[in-house]
Amino acid sequence: MSQIALKGVTKSFGGVSVIHGVDLDIETGELVVFVGPSGCGKSTLLRLISGLDQPSAGAIEIDGRDVTRVSAADRGLAMVFQSYALYPHMTVRQNLSFGLENTRMAKAEVTGRVAEAARMLNIEPLLDRRPTQLSGGQRQRVAIGRAIVRNPTAFLLDEPLSNLDAELRVSMRAELAALHARLGTTMIYVTHDQIEAMTLASRIVVLRAGRVEQVARPLDLFNRPANLFVAGFIGAPSMNLFPTRAEGGTAALPGGRRVPMAGVPEGSEVTIGLRPQHLRLAQGNEPGFDLRIALIEALGTETVVHGELAGTSGDTPRRVFAILPGQPGVALGDILRLGFDEAYLHRFGPDGQRLVGPGRP
Amino acid sequence: MSAVTSFLTRRRGQGRRWHWTDVVTWAWLAAGVVLMFGPALWLVASSFKGPAQLAEFPPTLLPYVQQTAQVEGHDEPLPLYTVTREDGTEVVLAEIRRIGTNSQMVDPANPEERINVNIADREPVREVGFATENYVAPLVANNFLRFLWNSVFVTAVATAITLLTNSMAAFALSKYDFRGRNAVMLLIVATLMVPLSVILVPLYAVVNATGLLDSLWGVILPTVATPTGVFLLRQYMLTIPDELLEAARMDHASEWQIYWRIVLPLTAPALAVLAIFSVVWRWNDFLWPLIVLSRRELYTLQVGLNTYAGELNVQWHYILAMTVVTMIPVVLIFVFLQRFITAGIAGAGIK
Repeated sequence: MSQIALKGVTKSFGGVSVIHGVDLDIETGELVVFVGPSGCGKSTLLRLISGLDQPSAGAIEIDGRDVTRVSAADRGLAMVFQSYALYPHMTVRQNLSFGLENTRMAKAEVTGRVAEAARMLNIEPLLDRRPTQLSGGQRQRVAIGRAIVRNPTAFLLDEPLSNLDAELRVSMRAELAALHARLGTTMIYVTHDQIEAMTLASRIVVLRAGRVEQVARPLDLFNRPANLFVAGFIGAPSMNLFPTRAEGGTAALPGGRRVPMAGVPEGSEVTIGLRPQHLRLAQGNEPGFDLRIALIEALGTETVVHGELAGTSGDTPRRVFAILPGQPGVALGDILRLGFDEAYLHRFGPDGQRLVGPGRP
Repeated sequence: MSAVTSFLTRRRGQGRRWHWTDVVTWAWLAAGVVLMFGPALWLVASSFKGPAQLAEFPPTLLPYVQQTAQVEGHDEPLPLYTVTREDGTEVVLAEIRRIGTNSQMVDPANPEERINVNIADREPVREVGFATENYVAPLVANNFLRFLWNSVFVTAVATAITLLTNSMAAFALSKYDFRGRNAVMLLIVATLMVPLSVILVPLYAVVNATGLLDSLWGVILPTVATPTGVFLLRQYMLTIPDELLEAARMDHASEWQIYWRIVLPLTAPALAVLAIFSVVWRWNDFLWPLIVLSRRELYTLQVGLNTYAGELNVQWHYILAMTVVTMIPVVLIFVFLQRFITAGIAGAGIK
């Protein structure tokens, strides 16, 4: 049985609809990441689950109980805010114990839980400081600690790492993953950073404009994006998408190579996707397409090539990304012939949905 | 001392000669100091003058008292005068009594001989001295300690209630989104445009009907809801992030706890400013307490001061002395808390 279930949840603010009927089941112990471009409604959805906002329609269930009209405090959830929202006038210890004292918990148990959380997060030396005397990473720990002490049925984390610098973000990400493994508590995590999403998630929910585009395990999302949006959103640099036309069971790619395209009406507009990682320098007479290099990003272990399809320079040259392993001797303005394996192709029908067919898992 | 001297003689550049702008600046600032401090210092100096000296023309800057001498054969000390004799020599004599334009005087060294002197020929011998009875008499005999206590009570209680009610109103107006919120805010701020004198009569009727007339509560209660306070606190509370309140809500805090334990402590700087304002306002209130209070034992300081100004006779020496007493708390507040006042005014963005 799913622990948190959303059933046809919609939300509108003053007539503007921002969540359009979301159905979602979250299993116990999962770490589910909501990801999507800004304004897609991921934070709003989290606030609906937390109870800080009420859905306009639909129901939210936790542990099989309908909590749609239950107040935020009584849902048994804990939230970590993007700004941490630590009480600036209280010490770290008071910040941690505030929520417990409000439930009239016995003093001894409050002390015990605070000590336990502080030990787990290595913030014991900070307990008597105020939030203003802490660094960003320490504040982040305290914010998580404030959630942990409540022993919630699920954690809700709203972009918890976005205020940290890059280095700290990587280490906190690892700590969060370890914490989740240790506590085994359900977590819902909102981010716009797909690396966070890919590394942390048990399952990823991709949202766009208030709708769920796809729910899948991270690698499934990468390997089998359900539609053009997910294909373009997941992966960096993003997938190369080539619009073309299905003719006689095949479709032509730039450069003239035809690939099988089954299951769509003759003559329909289809899109073929190819990840930059799956392009390689063509060997010998291998068919492929020619790319004029516009920009080279040499990262050492790999080289990202931004190029334009040769021969399309006239009106709108199509941008193509390719990631070549190692440090190939290429220069700006060179024309490269790139090849690929058909197994790596992603095929999308006229409606933008993924076509079932040959495709690598 | 040398630091003060170098401060006062500081000039443009380093060690150059006086430039004309130095002179102008110095004169301008000196004039400013006299203009700002002169009246206050003169008030303090004059509060130590006796009634006769206050009526003198031309007035003196410093308080003086006439010297007296104990002369044999007289119970009371006699006032001393410098008398110019017909031969032009001057001698110091004590006056026994005055008869018409003549004064009967005696030489303290030779108490047997009485001397008649025309009053035009004598000048009082005076030295700088303080008429402290200006302070002692009202405080001891005229119940001014009682007035002082009333003022302290009114100021303290009114300020406490002001802070509580205004912060509650500001909390609702800044942190809850309800229909007509801006209209309510506008209405509250609009009352700033209605002066007390306009609502004096209806307010009196209300206070009278509620039985608060002639009690200190009648002075306190009508003044506690101040639009300035609500506005100042609301503007400050708007800067408190809503996420803090939501975090508290997740933490099982009731709305009252959110107000009392989260919002109020974070509003402390603005509360300090309002407290200072409120103390100064209530302490200086005159017209409303004058109207409400009629029993003498309920008078506040400002109303008490007014009792020295009668229709025919104004006891300037007492008024001046008690004005100084009345000023002291306000001056102290500004001396010690001016930091908060300027910070708060800047923060709230109002005058």
